[in-house]
Amino acid sequence: MLVKNKNWKWILIFMIPITAMYTAFFIYPFGFVFFSSLTAWNGISPMEFIGFENYSKLLQASTLQISVRNNIIWSLSLGFLQIGLATIIAFILARRPRFWKTLRTVYFVPKVISGVAIAMLWKAVYNAEYGALNAVLTLITGQEWSHNWLGAFNTALPAIIAQEVMYIGYFMIIILAGVMSIPTSYYEAAEIDGASVWQQETLITLPVVWGIIVTAMTLAMAYGLRHFEATFLMTGGGPGHSTSTLALMMYDKIGARKLGEASTIGTILVVVGFFVIVTLNKTLGSKSLTGEDQ
Amino acid sequence: MKTLRAVITNLFKWAYLLFFFAIAVLPLVWLILTSFKTEAEFNAYPLALPAVWQLQNYVNAVSVAKMHVLFMNSVIIATTATLLNIMVTSLASFVVSREDFPFRQSLSNVIVAGVLMPIVAFMVPYLAIIRNLGLYDTRAALILTYAAINIPISFFLIKSFMVNIPKDLEDAAIIDGCSFVQRYTKVVLPLSRSGLVTAGTLTFIWSWNEFIYALLLTSSSSVRTIQLGISFFTTQFRSDYPSMYAAVVLAMIPSIIVYVFFHDKIISGLTAGAVKG
Repeated sequence: MLVKNKNWKWILIFMIPITAMYTAFFIYPFGFVFFSSLTAWNGISPMEFIGFENYSKLLQASTLQISVRNNIIWSLSLGFLQIGLATIIAFILARRPRFWKTLRTVYFVPKVISGVAIAMLWKAVYNAEYGALNAVLTLITGQEWSHNWLGAFNTALPAIIAQEVMYIGYFMIIILAGVMSIPTSYYEAAEIDGASVWQQETLITLPVVWGIIVTAMTLAMAYGLRHFEATFLMTGGGPGHSTSTLALMMYDKIGARKLGEASTIGTILVVVGFFVIVTLNKTLGSKSLTGEDQ
Repeated sequence: MKTLRAVITNLFKWAYLLFFFAIAVLPLVWLILTSFKTEAEFNAYPLALPAVWQLQNYVNAVSVAKMHVLFMNSVIIATTATLLNIMVTSLASFVVSREDFPFRQSLSNVIVAGVLMPIVAFMVPYLAIIRNLGLYDTRAALILTYAAINIPISFFLIKSFMVNIPKDLEDAAIIDGCSFVQRYTKVVLPLSRSGLVTAGTLTFIWSWNEFIYALLLTSSSSVRTIQLGISFFTTQFRSDYPSMYAAVVLAMIPSIIVYVFFHDKIISGLTAGAVKG
């Protein structure tokens, strides 16, 4: 009991800053985003309660359908493609091939550079006139390439997703740490029993780190739902609204002073995000996401 | 036959590893090379090496974009946010890991669960909070927001570190007449330096690179961060791409320096959260 601890005053003082900041930036926004989603609000005049009107209005917007479709594509690409690619790298590096430490460090470099710099970089690579991608393709095929990768309807979304999916560094490091914590005696025993490398990886490594892979998939899919930065900076949601996502739509609504509608999208993001995290963990096997021992 | 198969497998393995190595490195190298070229050279041969390595683009970047102002803003914001974040989370980690009080475990669980929160969904509430505090369009707005957003991860990392410091050390300090506050400042804090550095590094890099809330919570160019600044370059530089890339390279330097010195800390910090338990 607090009163029984003779240091209770100090405990209180030490806990006040974190409690205040956490409440303001994690708990209060939770309630605020839901409440304001039920209002018509321009951010200046008082909120006007309108029930679920924002929700029914949004459901009819064609941009919403495109955004939801794009968010699903993002989530699946990151959750399955990126995690798949990252898992293979982690399994290879865990056998400590030459330069494995250097490779691990280098793969992570793009994740320390800001999203803005990365977006500018790929905008340059995809540029129709001076872009490196067209230049490389011209060099390889011998034909003149001048495709506008980010400006064309059929390549804009794949181009943005591709550059993000290929940066496997973050999830690779998480999965690699899991694989490397498996005792080598498991593999020595398997070796004696005549198991091939393939058998060792699929029958020992994969089942042991499955929980971590599911955690990584869950996080990656949650990131896919929240996606904003690269698209905002590379295409701004265009051409048309073809690369729009929910978060981008929300930002546009704020710009248009429709804060109630923006909150509606925010609420959808929070609710769907939790739904994804909970279902994935239930269906694919569970592992404490935060790594807390219960 | 077995050896042939082994050779082929090996070949595929290295092709795979090198492909992702190239993806991580080549676009960056290309950007850096371009930043040393003249505009005419870049337009004519986008892939070639610079004929003359010239620094004019960097001079342009600094003079046109006021890089020094942007840079200073980012240094102030990222550093202060990191210090505030570490202070708040280390105070809480200390009492949660060393003292017993009601709701200790549940409080700790709730804070750590914050890592799962989709922060981007909170654009409207954060805008409202910052406006109500009268902080809109100030550096303090971003300092407070960045320090708060990184509470869950820093708290988790520092707490996991403090839990493992032997209780005997503190008992000895108490016998020597250490007060409650001195146990924190003189015993536990110095012993958890490694955890503080890990959490601090992650918070600093995150704050240095943050874009969305810098875009939402500030508007005037005098408080603008470097990331927000370079995102406006497309219009400022019109079609002078090499100068724009020089500015982007300048913006990347601090995170890369921090990574070079602390990559072990960063990697261990990121794996601690996901793998433990």
